[in-house]
Amino acid sequence: MNNTETVKAGLKKRYAREKRFQFYGKAAVMSGFVFLIFLLFDITTKAIPAFSITEILLEVPMDRSSLGLSTDTSVSIDDEAIAAIDYAGLVKKSLRSQFPEATKRKDKKLLYRLMSGSAEYELRQLIIDDPGLIDGEPLSIWFKADDDVDTFYKLKRNTSRIKAQQVEFIASLKTESRIRTALNWDFFTNGDSREPEQAGIKGALLGSFWTLLVTLMVSLPVGIAAAIYLEEFAPQNRLTDFIEININNLAAVPSIVFGLLGLAVFINFFGMPRSVPLVGGLVLSLITLPTIIISSRAAIKSVPPSLREAALGLGASHMQMVFHHVLPQAMPGVLTGAIIGMAQALGETAPLLMIGMVAFIVDVPDGVLDSATVLPVQIFLWADSPESAFTALTAATILVLLAFLTVMNALAILLRNYFERQR
Amino acid sequence: MQQRNKKTASPSLSLGNFASTIGENLLNDAKISTRDVNVSYGDKQAIYDASLDIGRNQVIALIGPSGCGKSTFLRCLNRMNDTIGICKVSGKLMLDGEDIYAKKMDPVLLRARVGMVFQKPNPFPKSIYDNVAYGPRIHGLARSNAEVDEIVITSLEKAGLFEEVKDRLNAPGTSLSGGQQQRLCIARTIAVSPEVILMDEPASALDPIATAIIEELIDELRQNYTIVIVTHSMQQAARVSQRTAYFHMGRIVEVGDTNRIFTNPRHEMTENYITGKFG
Amino acid sequence: MQVTSLFLMIVGLGLLAFFLSFQRSARYNGPTRLRSLPHHYASLTAVWTVFPALLLMIVWSIIEPSYLQQKIEASLTTEIADQSSDAIGLYLNRVHLAIASGTVDADPVVQSLVVAYEKAALQSRYLNTAMVLVLCLGGITLGLSKILFKVHARVGIERLLKAFLILCSGVAIVTTIGIVLSVLFESIRFFNAVSVFDFMFGTSWSPQTSIRSDQVGSSGSFGAVPLFLGTLLISLIAMVIAVPVGLMTAIYLSEYATGKFRTIAKPTLEVLAGIPTVVYGFFAALTIAPFIRNVGESIGLSVASESALAAGIVMGVMIIPFVSSLSDDVIRAVPQSMRDGSLALGATRSETIKKVIIPAALPGIVGSVLLAASRAIGETMIVVMAAGLAANLTVNPLEAVTTVTVQIVTLLTGDQEFDSPKTLAAFALGLMLFVTTLLLNVIALHVVRRYREQYE
Repeated sequence: MNNTETVKAGLKKRYAREKRFQFYGKAAVMSGFVFLIFLLFDITTKAIPAFSITEILLEVPMDRSSLGLSTDTSVSIDDEAIAAIDYAGLVKKSLRSQFPEATKRKDKKLLYRLMSGSAEYELRQLIIDDPGLIDGEPLSIWFKADDDVDTFYKLKRNTSRIKAQQVEFIASLKTESRIRTALNWDFFTNGDSREPEQAGIKGALLGSFWTLLVTLMVSLPVGIAAAIYLEEFAPQNRLTDFIEININNLAAVPSIVFGLLGLAVFINFFGMPRSVPLVGGLVLSLITLPTIIISSRAAIKSVPPSLREAALGLGASHMQMVFHHVLPQAMPGVLTGAIIGMAQALGETAPLLMIGMVAFIVDVPDGVLDSATVLPVQIFLWADSPESAFTALTAATILVLLAFLTVMNALAILLRNYFERQR
Repeated sequence: MQQRNKKTASPSLSLGNFASTIGENLLNDAKISTRDVNVSYGDKQAIYDASLDIGRNQVIALIGPSGCGKSTFLRCLNRMNDTIGICKVSGKLMLDGEDIYAKKMDPVLLRARVGMVFQKPNPFPKSIYDNVAYGPRIHGLARSNAEVDEIVITSLEKAGLFEEVKDRLNAPGTSLSGGQQQRLCIARTIAVSPEVILMDEPASALDPIATAIIEELIDELRQNYTIVIVTHSMQQAARVSQRTAYFHMGRIVEVGDTNRIFTNPRHEMTENYITGKFG
Repeated sequence: MQVTSLFLMIVGLGLLAFFLSFQRSARYNGPTRLRSLPHHYASLTAVWTVFPALLLMIVWSIIEPSYLQQKIEASLTTEIADQSSDAIGLYLNRVHLAIASGTVDADPVVQSLVVAYEKAALQSRYLNTAMVLVLCLGGITLGLSKILFKVHARVGIERLLKAFLILCSGVAIVTTIGIVLSVLFESIRFFNAVSVFDFMFGTSWSPQTSIRSDQVGSSGSFGAVPLFLGTLLISLIAMVIAVPVGLMTAIYLSEYATGKFRTIAKPTLEVLAGIPTVVYGFFAALTIAPFIRNVGESIGLSVASESALAAGIVMGVMIIPFVSSLSDDVIRAVPQSMRDGSLALGATRSETIKKVIIPAALPGIVGSVLLAASRAIGETMIVVMAAGLAANLTVNPLEAVTTVTVQIVTLLTGDQEFDSPKTLAAFALGLMLFVTTLLLNVIALHVVRRYREQYE
C-alpha cells in the first residue's frame, strides 16, 4: 500500500492550517504591543496640556491708596498692615483698570473669573518678601489664569464654562500680548489643591518617598534575614516547608487583603494613626517581602559552593562564611530583587486606600508621621475629579509615575547585567 | 601492523589515510543515495564529503566513535536537521531519485516516507492507542475509526508489542517499561507506513533483554522496510545489519558487507576501531 | 515623646558600651589569647546593655495604661465607686478626654481625678526611667567586668543573630496568621449581625444602614450574590481575553520566534504587568469605557458608562503577561524529544504544538490560568475606577456591575465607625476574597510543582 498520495492530498490543507496558526501567534504578540503603545500614546497626549499653563499679565498699582494703606508717608508700614491689605481686591482693581469697559456687575464678575484664585496669594507673598515695592512703580506680573480659561486658551476648546463676554476679554488680552502659556512648574512644586491650575504632585511625591523609605527599611533587612535563614540554616522539616508555602502564597494574595490587615492590626489594634506613611510603608513592606525573600534566596543560592568551602576551610564559622563571603557575593542579586519590590510598592494603590491615605492633603509631608498621600493614590483621586483640567494632571502624574518605574527597572536590569558579568 | 594507541589515532596524523571512502559505498538501485554531503553547524563542520548508498530492504549500520557524525548523517536523511537553525547541508541526497533537499520536496511528506526512532524512547504523554494512532490521524491515512483501530493493531503487532498491551491500550504510553516504550515508538513509526526507518541508537538506553527483543524486531522489519541504524555497539551492528559504514571524524572511512567489515577490514582505522583499540 | 527620648538614651548607652568594651578587649593582655575578636565582645556588651532595657520598656508601655487605670479607680471617692460600672466608665472617659485635649473639665470630681492620674503617670514615668537606667548600667558593668572574657562571645553573638534570622523568616507566617485572624474576627462579628445564609445567598446588596435605629426599611441588606456574580463576570471577560492571547503569545515566543525577537518581545510584554493597576483603571475609565459606549450606541445598544466590558477588557490585557510568561516557562520545559518524535512522524509544527506539546504542558498551563484568575478576582483599582457601584444582578457585560473588591474599598474609605455592620461587611467580603484566591493559588502552585517534577 502506498500512502504517499494520501499524505500529499492532505498537505495543502495542513499547511494552510499551519499558516493560520502562526498568524494567530503573531497577532497575539502584536496585540500586546499595540495595546501597550496605544496606552502610552493615549496617556501622553492626555498629559501634554498639564505641563503648560496660561498666564495673564496684570499691571498692579503700588501706591498706598490703591493698597488701602494710610497715605501719610510718615507712618511706617508694619507687617500687620501688609498682612491686612486686601490683595484679592487689588487683583480685581488691576483687572478693572485693564478692562474699563466692564462696568456691569455681571461683566465684572465674569472678568474676575479670568484669574486663578492663587493670584492674590502670589501678590501677597511678593509684597511680604519685599515691602520696598510699596510706593514704587506699578508692577507688571504674570498671574495664572483660571483653569477654564487655561483649557480654552491652551486647547482652543470652548466648554460651556467660558461665556461670550470672557471670550472677548481673552481676545483683547491676546491682541495686547497680555496672555501667554508658560511651563507649569507648579505641577512639580505644589501640593494638592481643589483648583487644577494650582495643584501639584510634590505632596504625593514626598508621600511616596516617605512610604517607600519605611518599606525599604523594614522589608530589606527582614527579607534578607529570612532568605539567609531559609537558604543557609533552615533544617529540612515541616516548619521550613510551611514557611516556604506561606511565602509563595503571600506573593499571590490580593494586595487589598493586606490593606484589610493593615486596617485591622496596625490602626485598630495597635492604634497607629490613619493616613500616615509609617502605616502605609509597613503594609507595603508586608506585600513586597515575598518578592524580596524569593529573589534574595535565588541570589544566595547562586553563590558557588567553592567559595563557601574555601571560607569554611579557613576555619570561618558558618555565620562568618555567610556574612563575610556569601552575602557580599549575593548582594547585587538581592538589591535587584529589592528594587523590583520597591517598584511594585511604588505602584500599589488599593491597600493604601484601606488605611486612609486617600485624604485630600494640601501640605507637603515632612516625615513618616505626617498625613500624606502617594503618587498612585493621587492619580486615583484626580481621576475622580469632575474638572476636565484634572484629567490632564492625572495623565501627567501617570507619566511621572511611569518614569520613576522605568528608572527603577532600568537600574535593576543594569545591576543584573553587572552581576552576570561578575560571574 | 603498527601498534597504535588512542592518541596516535588522532586525525591530524592520519587524515590522508581516509580522505576518500574505501570499500563498496555505492550500489546499483539504491533506496537512498548520497553524494559529497557536507554538513556544518555554524563554523563547525560535522560531515565531510560523505557518499553512501543505502540498499532496499536491508539494514545498514552506521558505526564509529562518538562525535564522528553518524547521528548527524542520519538526521540529514529525513531532514530532522531542519529544526536546528544553524545547520547547513550541501551535496546530493536522493530518495528513489528525488532530491531530499530540493525546494519542492516537502519535509512533512518526506518524514512520512522516512520515519525515525530515537535514542531515548519518547512516547507522547497520551495513551498507548493514541500514540500509535497519532501519525495516521494527522496524515489522514484512515477514513474511519475502524480503520484507525486496524492500523493501530497491525502496527503494534508488527512491533511485537500487541500481546503485551492489548488489555490496556488506554493506559498512558509512559507507563510502559523502557523496552516496551521503544517498541511503542517503533509501532508509532510503522503506523505511518514509511519506506525507510532511521534508528538512532535505539537500544542504547535499554537493558540486554529489551535490546535483544528490539534487535529481533529489526531483523523482522527488514522484510518490508529499508532500515538505517546508528549504533555504538559493534556486536549489535554485526547482529542486525547486512552492510556497515564506519564513520570517523565526520568522514565515512569504510563501507562494506557487515561480514566483510568485521572479518577483514581494509582500513587500519576500521580495524583499530573494531578490535577495540579506541572508540 | 517620652518613649522616644528613653529609646534614644538606651541606644546611646548601647553605643557607649560597645565603644568602651571594644577598647578594653582590644587592649586585652591576659595570660591566654582571647577566643573571640574585640568586636564580638563589644557587640555582646552592647546587647547586654540594650536588650533587657528595651524589653522592660516594651513591657512597661504595655502594662502602663492598665496600671494607671487602676490608680484612678482606686482614688475614686466611695460615692462614685458605688455607682454602676457604666457611670464609672463615663467618668473615666471624661478624664481621658480632659487629659488628651488639655482642657479643664468643669466637674470637680473629674478635675481631682485628672490630678490623680497625672500624678500617677509622672510616678510611673520616673520609675520606668530609673529602672531602664539601672538595667543599662548593669549591662555595661557586666560587660566591662572580668566575666565578659569568660564567655565565648562569637558563639553568643552568632546565636543571637540566628535567633534574629529565625524571627525574620517567621514574619511570613505571622503575616498569614494576621490576615486570617483580622478578617476572621471581624467577619464573625459581622455574621453575628447578619446571617451567613443571607450573606452568601441574598440577592440584594445595599449596605446603607440607618442612622437612627427607629428608621424603617433602612437596616441595610447584605446579600452578596450580586457582588460575586459581578466579580465572576468581569473576571470571566478578562480571562476570555487573557487566556487565548496569553497562550498564543507564549506559543509563538517559545516555538516560532527567533532568539532575537524573543529577547525583545518578552520584556516588552512584561511591561504590561509592571504598569500600576491605577494606570489601567484610568485608561479603562477615560478611554475604553467611553469608546465602548460610543460604539455600542452607534449600533443601537444601550451601554452603561461604567460597563463590565470595559473593566474586563483592560483587566484581561493586564493579566496577559501572567498567562504568557508562566505558560512560556512550562512549554519550554516540554522535552525536545517530544517535538522530535512528532516531527519525525511528519507532523507540521502547529500539529506538533496542538496535539503533543500543549497536552504535555497542560497541567502547567492550567496552573498559570488559575494564578491569572486569582489575580483577576483580587484586582482592585481597575474595577474601582472603571466598574460601578451599582449592585446589579446581571450577566450582561454592557451593564454596570460591582465587585467584591470595589465594595471593600467603598465600605472602608472615608471615616466610619469601626463596628457598624457596614464596615464589618467589608471584612466578610475580604474573607471570601482571601479564601477564594488562597484556594486558587494553592491548587495552581501544587499543579505547577507536580508538572515540574514530571520532567525533572
